[in-house]
Amino acid sequence: MKPLKLERVSKQYGDKTAVNTISLEVEEGEIYGLLGANGAGKTTTMRMVLGLIYPDDGRILYDGKPYSRDQLSLMGYLPEERGMYPKVKISDQVIYLARLRGMSRQDADRNLKSWLERFDISDYYNMKIEELSKGNQQKIQFIAAVIHRPKIVIMDEAFSGLDPVNVELLKRTVKALRDEGTSILFSTHRMEHVEELCRNITILHRSNTVLQGNLKEIKKQYPRERVMIGAEQEISGLEQVPGVRSVTRRENGYELAIERPEAARELLQHAMSQAELQRFEVLEPTLNEIFIRAVGGEKHE
Amino acid sequence: MNNNFWTVVGFTAGNKIRTKSFIVTTAIIAAILCIGVNLPYIISMFSGNSEIKQVGYVEGQVADVEAALQDYYAQQGEEADLQLVGYPDSGDAAANEQALREALRSEEIAGYLVFDAEASGGFPGVTYKSEKLLDNTADSLSVALQNIKFQMGLENAGLTEAQMADLLAPINVQTTQISVSDSTGEGKTAEQRGLAMGFVYAMMILLFMGIFVTSQLIASEITAEKSSRVMEILVTSVSPMTQMFGKIFGMFLVGLLQIGVYVVVAVVNFSLPHNKESLGNLNINLGDIDPMLYAYALLFFLMGYFLFAMLCAAVGSIVSRTEDLAQAMMPVSMLALAGFYIGIFGMTTPGSTLVVVTSFIPFFTPFAMFLRIGLTDPALWEVLLSIGVLALSIFVLGWLSARIYRTGVLMYGKRPSLKELRKAMKAYKV
Repeated sequence: MKPLKLERVSKQYGDKTAVNTISLEVEEGEIYGLLGANGAGKTTTMRMVLGLIYPDDGRILYDGKPYSRDQLSLMGYLPEERGMYPKVKISDQVIYLARLRGMSRQDADRNLKSWLERFDISDYYNMKIEELSKGNQQKIQFIAAVIHRPKIVIMDEAFSGLDPVNVELLKRTVKALRDEGTSILFSTHRMEHVEELCRNITILHRSNTVLQGNLKEIKKQYPRERVMIGAEQEISGLEQVPGVRSVTRRENGYELAIERPEAARELLQHAMSQAELQRFEVLEPTLNEIFIRAVGGEKHE
Repeated sequence: MNNNFWTVVGFTAGNKIRTKSFIVTTAIIAAILCIGVNLPYIISMFSGNSEIKQVGYVEGQVADVEAALQDYYAQQGEEADLQLVGYPDSGDAAANEQALREALRSEEIAGYLVFDAEASGGFPGVTYKSEKLLDNTADSLSVALQNIKFQMGLENAGLTEAQMADLLAPINVQTTQISVSDSTGEGKTAEQRGLAMGFVYAMMILLFMGIFVTSQLIASEITAEKSSRVMEILVTSVSPMTQMFGKIFGMFLVGLLQIGVYVVVAVVNFSLPHNKESLGNLNINLGDIDPMLYAYALLFFLMGYFLFAMLCAAVGSIVSRTEDLAQAMMPVSMLALAGFYIGIFGMTTPGSTLVVVTSFIPFFTPFAMFLRIGLTDPALWEVLLSIGVLALSIFVLGWLSARIYRTGVLMYGKRPSLKELRKAMKAYKV
């Protein structure tokens, strides 16, 4: 049984379609990427998974079972808009939220302490949220989402507004959760996080699924059309090589867009004839490019 | 789920009680109560040895009236507020006036009397002269002189002592409220009515405070949760119904605690020896109140509170920002205020059509019906009907509020109109 499965789920708000027949499956111990521009239907999809709103069509299965209140204690939610009680002690509110999800006070307290230790912020146990920096508030929010050891965690923009050190810290933690078998539905705008974390992705655009599948396979479908050349000397005439679309001068080399992968061979010979190369690489497209192409392409049709 | 309900109740009440604002408000109102209850005693302490005012006059102008005045104030003994001081007649009116003015300046006297023996009707004209005229000296003098004139007139008419005593005996009209719907009812005596009136009055204020303050708190708590976005986590952890009712009940406990503190403070203060005495003098004994009235007070308090709490929860859930709350709460506040005013102004006319009609309108029932039960004698079916209507509206409103709450807590941005809300409800399938 898949921990989380969406089967042809649709949602309408009035005559506006918010989500149009989306289907996806999240395995145990998998981080599933849900991508899309603002207003593409990510939040609606997540809210339906959380049971906040009910789908008009299709169904959502949790371990093969339909939604019921009992599932709530198995789910964790890190909302996009962070929110905690600003004036309540951290220990009080995190334990409160954990208890609402069915934990005993003692268990919740023990878990909270171990999480605070893990993030090296044990002193905050008795402080109030409003006294913390934004990054630390986010760590508390994260703890509140996972303290009850949920099987399914929904993370909406998990790393937004964090400094690189804290992003690394939380990324490590998310991976650790994944390795413990948690299924994570993950939404973000930051493609490099998706490339690092997710095995499968769905790209939503204007309520529709425009691209879905295994990240590696998706990338294979897109031709390798980017070449990086690292060289200390200047190389002239790169534009004249057949099949080259554009050339961009970089700090220590060139970035080129080519029309077909075969053009790379000629390009290499041309470059080698002129300079001592430090690097020559034909790159697969970044997710960023794929995303823009998938989403932007729709727009022109 | 049941477990969650109590978790919400505990968290709501626990946090509210620990806030500084709650502790400070409770302490301040308790202190005001202390002072208020003890105020009569404090005032009596200051006025207990208040000075008897000295009023001067020139002796021998209208000897009989002067003597009678002296007698009148002498008879009052310690309670007399005036004392007359005679000054010898120097024979010249201007010199007399001068002497009295001198005495006034040196503060021997607070004012002085000038008699005008030539006034018509055989009784002399009297003028009271003082620097300050805004006190009750003139009233006191006027009462005294009226008395003297009356006595003098009676004496002149040649009545005997017994006839005079008989004439002067006060007439006492006894009032008893009777009950017509209840054959065994003996009705209420004037004291009982006064007591019931006082009790109803006190309960109106408590009810209004309970409803107004506590339900405003509920709404602002919910809006605060929404604006701090903790709501999104809450609605995914616990059913909105449980959450809403847990919050209402938690706040109710807080309100009850607060009122409990006030009642204890009041009762402790009232039972202090010096206050007990003055209370006893006023013939107030809380044991005289019909126990059913206590039961009705409790019932209407509970029902009124929950009715308004539901409304406020619904309103709080559709507002996203605390700044917008006061405006959105306006209609609800108006309802509570209207009920309160009907109750207070209806005190004097508890049988009026307005009170009778409003006692069946659920939002006003806790005030109007309680007033009628306390001060008049409505038929049992009327009471039961109004309670039934109230209970039904609590149920319906609770159901509706829960739906609005369920929808409202997820709607951010501008406050939704009724139409938008209905559309959202449909979309959310709640």
